[in-house]
Amino acid sequence: MLNRTKAPDKIPAAKILIPKVQSSTLPNGAQLIVVEAGTQDVSKIEIIFNAGTRHQSQALSARGAIALLSEGTSAKNSHQIAELFDFYGSFPEHSFDRDFASLTLYSTNKFLDQSLAVFADMLYNPIYPEHELDIFRKKGKQSLIVELEKVVTLARQNFFSSMFGANHPYGTFATPDDFDSLNRDKIIEFHNQYHTSDNCLIILAGKVTDKEIKCVEKMLGSAKFGKEGSVKNQNVPQIGKTPQNVFAQKNEALQSAIRIGKQVVKRNHEDFSKLMILNTVLGGYFGSRLMRNIREDKGYTYGISSALLPFKDTSVFVIGTEVGADFTTSTLREIYSELNRLCTEKIPQSELDLVKSHLTGEVLRNFDGPFAIADSIASLYEYNDMDFSFFERTINTINTITPEQLIDTANKYFGKDDLVESIAGRIVNS
Amino acid sequence: MIDIIKHTLPNGLRLLIHQDFSTPIASVNLLYNVGAKDENPDKTGFAHLFEHLMFGGSVNIPSFDEPLEHVGGENNAFTNNDYTNYYITLPAENIETAFWLESDRMLSLAFTKKSLDVQRNVVIEEFNQRYLNQPYGDVWLNLRPLAYTAHPYMWATIGKSTDHIKSATLTDVKNFFYSHYAPNNAILCVAGPVEPSHIIELVNKWFGPIEKRNVITRNLPKEPLQTAPRKLEVIRDVPFNAIYKAYHMCNRNHANFATVDLMSDLLSNGKSARLYQHLVKEKQLFSSVNAYITGDIDEGLFIVTGQLYPSTSYSDAESALVDEIALLQNSTVAPYELEKVQNKFESNFTFEETSVLNKAMNLSFYELLGDAKNINLEVERYRSVTPESIRTVAQQILTEKNCSTLYYKSKQ
Repeated sequence: MLNRTKAPDKIPAAKILIPKVQSSTLPNGAQLIVVEAGTQDVSKIEIIFNAGTRHQSQALSARGAIALLSEGTSAKNSHQIAELFDFYGSFPEHSFDRDFASLTLYSTNKFLDQSLAVFADMLYNPIYPEHELDIFRKKGKQSLIVELEKVVTLARQNFFSSMFGANHPYGTFATPDDFDSLNRDKIIEFHNQYHTSDNCLIILAGKVTDKEIKCVEKMLGSAKFGKEGSVKNQNVPQIGKTPQNVFAQKNEALQSAIRIGKQVVKRNHEDFSKLMILNTVLGGYFGSRLMRNIREDKGYTYGISSALLPFKDTSVFVIGTEVGADFTTSTLREIYSELNRLCTEKIPQSELDLVKSHLTGEVLRNFDGPFAIADSIASLYEYNDMDFSFFERTINTINTITPEQLIDTANKYFGKDDLVESIAGRIVNS
Repeated sequence: MIDIIKHTLPNGLRLLIHQDFSTPIASVNLLYNVGAKDENPDKTGFAHLFEHLMFGGSVNIPSFDEPLEHVGGENNAFTNNDYTNYYITLPAENIETAFWLESDRMLSLAFTKKSLDVQRNVVIEEFNQRYLNQPYGDVWLNLRPLAYTAHPYMWATIGKSTDHIKSATLTDVKNFFYSHYAPNNAILCVAGPVEPSHIIELVNKWFGPIEKRNVITRNLPKEPLQTAPRKLEVIRDVPFNAIYKAYHMCNRNHANFATVDLMSDLLSNGKSARLYQHLVKEKQLFSSVNAYITGDIDEGLFIVTGQLYPSTSYSDAESALVDEIALLQNSTVAPYELEKVQNKFESNFTFEETSVLNKAMNLSFYELLGDAKNINLEVERYRSVTPESIRTVAQQILTEKNCSTLYYKSKQ
């Protein structure tokens, strides 16, 4: 008779095989990392620049510089570029954050040559047409106005502004009016200065052979682009002010968005892997304490989580949720009580074992296919020039950490009364 | 080409296996053939609420998540109008844990009052978060009952209102389980670095003893042919006006399905597509536009939508959309343009296959449609669409009398 109450024996995962990648410097100074994996004949090419919004002197110029690369070159207009990519079944994408901007191409290997030629043209010869910039301003402004209607947006923006100060590169946000004053010369200046071959990392991932590697080397690695040596190594300013709690009232809101957190340490700091474990216990997986307490026991929310957000010069620990407006006060009380519990009570061994298993699974998931591998390399490189040894260190900490050490770390980071609290929505006094 | 091994258990459970040794992770996808369309019109939102309850412990196992997390697994689920889908990814060596957990909740749930009480609240907060407390969040709550008068697609998966969710009882929950959750109403797909003989052995061990159940025979009302245009205006506290036009289209297995799908791609798949180039870039009437199909198994909808600039009037916005539709009906699409959207379809399809979880989900869905192996014919099906068929089908379905139009107006 089958015993359904007993779990099948756990088979320890084989030693985690950290994927091998090839790294080289191309003739134009760009660094190239190649990830050979996967079963489908497709590739992803991502170019990452140190060109995030922290480097801009005018709001939105970092975003405009990366977003408008696809909107016209000296040889092709925006429509022609779009037609070619669509015909090849390729997808160009861009993204940007505080520290970095990146340009990505997804392509089948069949059309890699052709799509890469268009992609390279965008990078080498963009002309940033004024009429395309006009559309960018109009569309961008309207979509930001809609974003600002959301309680999550308000809570998030106020959280970072309060923590870093509204003039700090990590604490400032574009306003709808910034779109009107966005200037073409500033965008071009930003592009020339920051999208340069000696300031970038290229990651090629997929079922690639020498043919695909040669193709990338030729089209993106021979001629230099951008102004050489123009990137200044800027440090972000120190934070001078004491963060304040923020409340943004929205009378008709059914839910309040909550963000609570603080700055912690950079990802290469020795405490970081301990913080990862604490964060997982608190709000980093479905079975976390916040989820169990606030969703699965009380039903105040659809979801609550915490995270460690990496920046180049720091990391931010943040708890985030949207809760029924009537439950705002009770949720805050429970969040602080869970933080206090981390500082005062030893994490039971069984819970710690669960978290260790979860984190080991997470490390494996980083290697689930070529694009997952490429993404994890990208983020390691971006934040603090690390490599896959980060995972080895993390696994090592996971295997050796004790509940006592975790209490010490919790007290060091969450014990002080310096958390920033940002709420947008409604607080109902019960 | 995706290689598939198919095996049906004596209790009716359909098993699909796909081998992929390029990842250390295995995916286990379990699809139940029950969705929001199977709900009682007075108890909507139930299939989805039920999905939440599937995580509240089963007859022999008090917690679903914890043992899975213990072996490094992750899981989630979604419900739509047609079916409910549960999925797990985990290190492949521990795949048996997934079968142990899924088979126990297929056998029976714990049915606790606490779980129901809490999940009712969680789902109400989900309703608030995704549909009511978001700008434009309630569009589909308005558009569905306008477009459908008989078929249960007239309500959204989340339900008609939070009141339906509040009134769900434990008896409702039990009835729903035993009428829809059964091995003979489910499809199990395993994808990853696995040995088929080993998988079949484990699936027989855990799912084999579950008995066949009497599943309620589906007998859904057919949506009557729409004969006149329908219009609805709502006023909401949003910053900009928006327009939605919904046309009835064929079902998922119909010969015209690929044609209709490519029709929506011609209008709006990719930046070179017609709506974006003509209406966002050239005429600058909209800040965003879109055309897509709902992709439902029964007769679904073809949607054309846009968000207006403050300077654009509704009449200019609507005639611009209607002109684009007329262009599909009055002139034959150039072979180049059709080839472009076909290339894009093929490429999308290939990219989807880079993830074992996507493959497991897609295979289960194609099996639900009739046969998982048809997934390998899909690209050919889209390649065989002709310019003439696009024009003919556009003339048939993209007419005003087959259309429901929603003006979603800004209060400001």
